[in-house]
Amino acid sequence: MWAIIKKEFKSYFLSPIGYVVVGILLLVFSIFFYLTSVQVGSVDLSSLYYYVALYGLIIAAPILTMRMFAEERKNGTEQLILTAPISITKVVFGKLIAALGVIVITLLLSFGYYAIVCFFAKTSVIPILTSMLGFLLISTAAISVGMLASSITENQIIAAIITIAFLIMSIFLENINELLANLSIINFYEKFPSGVISFTEVAGLISFSIVFIGLTIIVMQRRKISH
Amino acid sequence: MIEVKNVTKKYGNFTAVDCISFTVKDGEIVGLLGPNGAGKSTTMNMLTGFIEPTEGTINVNGYDIMKKTKKAKKQIGYMPENVPLYMELTVKEFVSYMAELKLVQRAKRKEEVQNVLKETGLEEVQNKLIRNLSRGYKQRVSMAGALVGNPEVLILDEPTVGLDPKQIIEIRNLVKKLGKKHTVILSSHILSEISQICERVIILNKGKIVAIDTPQTLEEKTKEKNILLLTVEDKEEKMSYLQNKIKDIQKLEMIKDNEDGTKQYQIISDREIDLRKTLFEVLPKEGITIFELKKAETTLEDAFIKLVNQTEKKEEKKTKKGGKK
Repeated sequence: MWAIIKKEFKSYFLSPIGYVVVGILLLVFSIFFYLTSVQVGSVDLSSLYYYVALYGLIIAAPILTMRMFAEERKNGTEQLILTAPISITKVVFGKLIAALGVIVITLLLSFGYYAIVCFFAKTSVIPILTSMLGFLLISTAAISVGMLASSITENQIIAAIITIAFLIMSIFLENINELLANLSIINFYEKFPSGVISFTEVAGLISFSIVFIGLTIIVMQRRKISH
Repeated sequence: MIEVKNVTKKYGNFTAVDCISFTVKDGEIVGLLGPNGAGKSTTMNMLTGFIEPTEGTINVNGYDIMKKTKKAKKQIGYMPENVPLYMELTVKEFVSYMAELKLVQRAKRKEEVQNVLKETGLEEVQNKLIRNLSRGYKQRVSMAGALVGNPEVLILDEPTVGLDPKQIIEIRNLVKKLGKKHTVILSSHILSEISQICERVIILNKGKIVAIDTPQTLEEKTKEKNILLLTVEDKEEKMSYLQNKIKDIQKLEMIKDNEDGTKQYQIISDREIDLRKTLFEVLPKEGITIFELKKAETTLEDAFIKLVNQTEKKEEKKTKKGGKK
């Protein structure tokens, strides 16, 4: 699996995609840092991570995931990984972890905002750390959606559109029905920013991810039969 | 050793591969031959575990490709059709990635990669991006990807398509060399290539095996007539009466009138009858000087076309009969 992680992560930064994602996320960070801290003179960064998770991921997740399987299928390189002595589960997790690597880089860079705030007032680092942990989990959920989208088509644009559509729509689902609110990942990112690791939120994000990762693995395995 | 037993692949109602069985022995080079859409690539994709057969079993060195997938896949080096590669990687990066995927141990990896690069003649371009390589080099990179990890079985899907003649010869020699250490299955629709490299040929048409044999026997078997090419100087125009002198000639035809006054004839006789000796005896007596006499070789090409046509005719008959009923 290490081979897949290494190669995928490297590919992100051999193409502009890695830089684009980090750049976009940092841009969203900066916008909301200005709106939630600078403009109102607050040293509380909790809403910053919430807004980036809400708006940033809608753009970042599809860009990170659209090529994952769609490009391999189109170029035929999926023949190389699917005929190698490595299980599909490992391929899927390898790609997921590589994408999370890009998110981790962004999160490490986002310490910069904390540093700026610290310059003005003494603030606890704990909410920042829980925000980041939660951000990683919510990213995993968003990326799993993108992975599934990428695995069902060979067109990257379509994969990206499906992911964006799902992420945007899920925000409004709770207005239709309370039950559907569980499909909206942002609902599981409300306590992390305030420094609380809630079991419901962690379990919610993890189980959401597992469903989509599982579906991706099934889709890829089905390809063997229906190719 | 590869054992394919009663393998069928269906896509909905369409049968891409229809109940084929064959074995490939260790160290053998076998060619898969067939017109477009005959099921060559589907067969290869099934051998490598990329797609699953609808029915039947495939064993690679004793491992079932569907049950002991990992072990079976480890035995195989696959070069897919259309050479899929990661364009953003360098040649070396790509080959090391493939080595890692094939579970080559970390300690041996560097050495193994260098060996393969050397074997495929890629040492000089190893640090170039694959994107910037010519078609021939890309083909070799793909081949290197198949070779790395020293798999016992090599499956090469149309390895010489799109190459120039010089590159074709290079790849062909490489395959021949590899055949000494590995079991090789390659597909192609260039027949001369198959007859030069392969020890055995499997001819596929419309998903079915039409013939499995050595190229020589196939050529021999499908030969119907003996064809001779004869170049003579015939001042008295006696050639046209030749058929009366030698009864065994079925057909005599002038095919070329050379500028130096000689003429080339095609002489067709029955399959069992070799007219060469008779011609050498009779013609000088008639005052005809022989410049050249040779057998027209039937090629694998003829054999192939005939076999494919035969099966198609059979099928036509079947459908006609079925229609009447």
